[in-house]
Amino acid sequence: MVPEQDVLTISTIWSQLARRAEQEKTLHLADWFASDPDRFARFSLEDAGLLADFSKQRMSDEIRDLLVKLADERQLRHWTEALFGGAEVNCTEGRPAKHWCLREPADRAPMVHEQLDAMEDMVNRILKGHWRGVMGDAITDVVNVGVGGSDLGPLMAAFALQSCLPPQGLSRPRLHFASSMDGSQVSQILQELNPRTTLFLVSSKSFTTVDTLHNATTARQWLGRGLGLDCDDASLLRCHFIGISANPERMSEWGIMPDNQLLFWDWVGGRYSLWSAIGMPIALTVGMDGFRDMLAGAHEMDHHCRTRPWENNIPVMLALVDVWNINFLGINARAVLPYDGRLKHLPAYLEQLEMESNGKSVARSGEPVEYGTCPVIWGEVGPNAQHAFFQLLHQGTQPIACEFLMTARRYTEAQHFDAVCELEAQHSLSNANCLAQSRLLALGERALDPEVALPSYKRYHGNQPSTTLVLEELSPRVLGALLAMYEHKVFVQAVIWGINPFDQWGVEMGKVIATGMLEVLADPESASGLDASSLALARHIAKRQK
Amino acid sequence: MQITVYGDTLCAQVTATAMAQTGHQVHWCVVEPLSRERLAEGRPLFQEQGLDRLCREQLESGRLTTGFWEDVPSGIPDAVFLSLQPGEEGVAERLVNMLASSTGCGLIVNQTVGPVGAAEQLRTIIKQANTRSALVSLPDLIQEGNAFRTFTRPDSILLGCEDGEGEALVRELLRPFNRRKDVIQVMSLREAEFSKLAISGILATRISYMNDMASLSESLGVDIDVVRVAMGADPRIGDSYLYPGCGFGGPGLSRNVLALVDALNAKASEPGLLEQVLQTNERQKEVLFRKFWQFNHGNVAGKKVALWGVAFKPGTHRVDNAPALKVIEALWAQGVEVSVHDPKALADIESWAEGRGELILCDDPYEAAEGADALMLITEWKPYWSPDWQRLKRAMREPLILDGRNIYEPDFVREQGLVYRGIGR
Repeated sequence: MVPEQDVLTISTIWSQLARRAEQEKTLHLADWFASDPDRFARFSLEDAGLLADFSKQRMSDEIRDLLVKLADERQLRHWTEALFGGAEVNCTEGRPAKHWCLREPADRAPMVHEQLDAMEDMVNRILKGHWRGVMGDAITDVVNVGVGGSDLGPLMAAFALQSCLPPQGLSRPRLHFASSMDGSQVSQILQELNPRTTLFLVSSKSFTTVDTLHNATTARQWLGRGLGLDCDDASLLRCHFIGISANPERMSEWGIMPDNQLLFWDWVGGRYSLWSAIGMPIALTVGMDGFRDMLAGAHEMDHHCRTRPWENNIPVMLALVDVWNINFLGINARAVLPYDGRLKHLPAYLEQLEMESNGKSVARSGEPVEYGTCPVIWGEVGPNAQHAFFQLLHQGTQPIACEFLMTARRYTEAQHFDAVCELEAQHSLSNANCLAQSRLLALGERALDPEVALPSYKRYHGNQPSTTLVLEELSPRVLGALLAMYEHKVFVQAVIWGINPFDQWGVEMGKVIATGMLEVLADPESASGLDASSLALARHIAKRQK
Repeated sequence: MQITVYGDTLCAQVTATAMAQTGHQVHWCVVEPLSRERLAEGRPLFQEQGLDRLCREQLESGRLTTGFWEDVPSGIPDAVFLSLQPGEEGVAERLVNMLASSTGCGLIVNQTVGPVGAAEQLRTIIKQANTRSALVSLPDLIQEGNAFRTFTRPDSILLGCEDGEGEALVRELLRPFNRRKDVIQVMSLREAEFSKLAISGILATRISYMNDMASLSESLGVDIDVVRVAMGADPRIGDSYLYPGCGFGGPGLSRNVLALVDALNAKASEPGLLEQVLQTNERQKEVLFRKFWQFNHGNVAGKKVALWGVAFKPGTHRVDNAPALKVIEALWAQGVEVSVHDPKALADIESWAEGRGELILCDDPYEAAEGADALMLITEWKPYWSPDWQRLKRAMREPLILDGRNIYEPDFVREQGLVYRGIGR
């Protein structure tokens, strides 16, 4: 059962937290460390291949205990049971959110495993070179056509796991991702690929996403032209398109052959769907065993989240720390900084996961919320970001929370054998930078030699809090645990704030208005009731297209 | 002279046979225990036309004896031939160490095809041991299917030799095969090894080039066979190795090209052309599969295909890297039943197929075609050249002839009421 709709009231705990924040405002992180050298032991957690260090957050034991009490007051236990019990936690759409079910073992989720097995069959045929194009050639290139959750998750994870090769004897196809509605990617990809050896995965939960269907149609016409076939040709569709959706009827209408349809379900949100067949590009990268390892890692994190007491619970503590920063310290931005280039697409993935989930201002009760919810999240590969926006982190005027990610072990795979010394040195250099930056951000110039006097423009005020996440290694299993950790963290925050993290009504209206705008662009003079700016822009463009 | 030949290769068998036949006392030592058993039963390792019988004769005459490489030699030979399989560099080094430590053996002839520089490495071992043995390189140029003749009546002999004394002894050994005119070309060890690889490279390139031309012919409506004859008439080109087909295989050619690609890669120059040649060939091995797939619009599960010829070329029982293997695997993967006929290679294909999939082996070519949805001609054995078309048509479920070697006349086959698809025609 979903707990009764509740409103986050200014409780005594909330007021106590606010008071503490006021009292401790003057304390600098350097003071926290000076007075409490054992912080790390009490403010770090380890499980499932992950270490989370919260000790560089501006937090004391009392604050942590109050935050845990807040979680109890907000009935987190109840909500967690509702989520994992399959209750209708997505109240505005009247359905449960069971992405966790995608990583359950076969006996508990037979339907899920039926689809995983169907996907495994396809993945193996492709990896073994047995999937044939219409002219009989083995597939060498796979294009993922999808947007949002059907793009960001698979892209991020497939890129992250590139160095984990599929088992011997299987050969990984080249993967391409086409998402943007203007055709920028698909036009480029199609120029480089051979229609005889290219397979398209068309991924869309509803199979009505215009961005995706337009890209898929462009691909279909390209195949028809290139192969000298009608683009409705049944063998062309059978040999070159796989559809992944929760809507089999729409897939069939579009032309996806029944045997080439992989299903997921209404109760999987798009941004939570990489664990389903939507994750096929990941399986094509690491093989199906690797994909199942990723699911197992996520399942381990599900178990962690359900069973650990809040103060020892990594996703819960991440969420509570964020709540502390946002609602009590007034820090409304978070930078995600992976110090491992393979996690390059993680910031974009988290931007969607967190901001689409918790970028809400209406509580479950329907009332507007009176406190901040999801902050602005952005990020970049750490060492590259050092050359871009770190200046602002160190010397700007905004308080910003940072999230550092690093891997302990790297370059252990056979393909790096020849250059292992040089590459390990680069890995160490990157980790050293990660530690240096989080230390300097926290301590400021108190990390430096006190004897040296600095001019004002060379000073570092510090006191920017950060969390550091250390991955044992970037394997499918650890990545699975990491991503499930973020999913649960988002849910816990939503519970504290009393909002529904599983809908996204804010992205609907723009699509509707865009349909009308097509007519305006075609003939600006026909428009009525348009604002002056939009009308002038439409006219400007129309004039230049003549 | 007393000669010892080491190795399990066709080249070893040919060398041992030819040397024994010309009067030498030859001891042939093999590396694989299985080969030893075979030879102990008096059965040669390779059954090429003619070679098989000649080898048996020498074994029976007593001029050719056999043994195992690790056995202690009974005497000191005058010359030793190393004709090992690729990858047996370790064996070669142990043998040369052993020979270098014994005195007396005047000549070591390395026929093993390996990376350029392998012979030099062996010679270093001899030099360190400070013995009087000479080491020369005599790269294996024999053509499978016609091995004995190409060894005993060669068009050219490449001899890597940087030692005058060694040269005289090799010339003496090869004298019976070098009579019409002197075809021995003396060069450095490295040059001999590299020449061998370079020859393989250009032959492979010609074939892949012709296969490219063949696919173009199909889309242009041109008969590649007419084009082939026209090209071959030009003396600058000549007519050998111009036949398009369903890919080349065998232990030799593609391996040598691979070795060449490796050598180029190791020296960090661009292997562009040769890699393309090999890729084209790998693709070409599946050309008949693709034709079958296209004919059936990709609906091939549950169908049956008959293969005529699985040996990598006519005249041999070997199936190493043969195009048939790729075709069979591609068919299996699509749920197609496969039956095969081959005059000599059934035993080899059977042991290859073990643990891989179900293969129907037929002693009679028409039996293989029974109920088939296509007949693929893959190896152009002579008995396949003029089949009984009506009998085939009756036997097959779908009379589709896929001619991987362009040995049939398309119009004639079509007149007989069958469907014909060739390579580039």
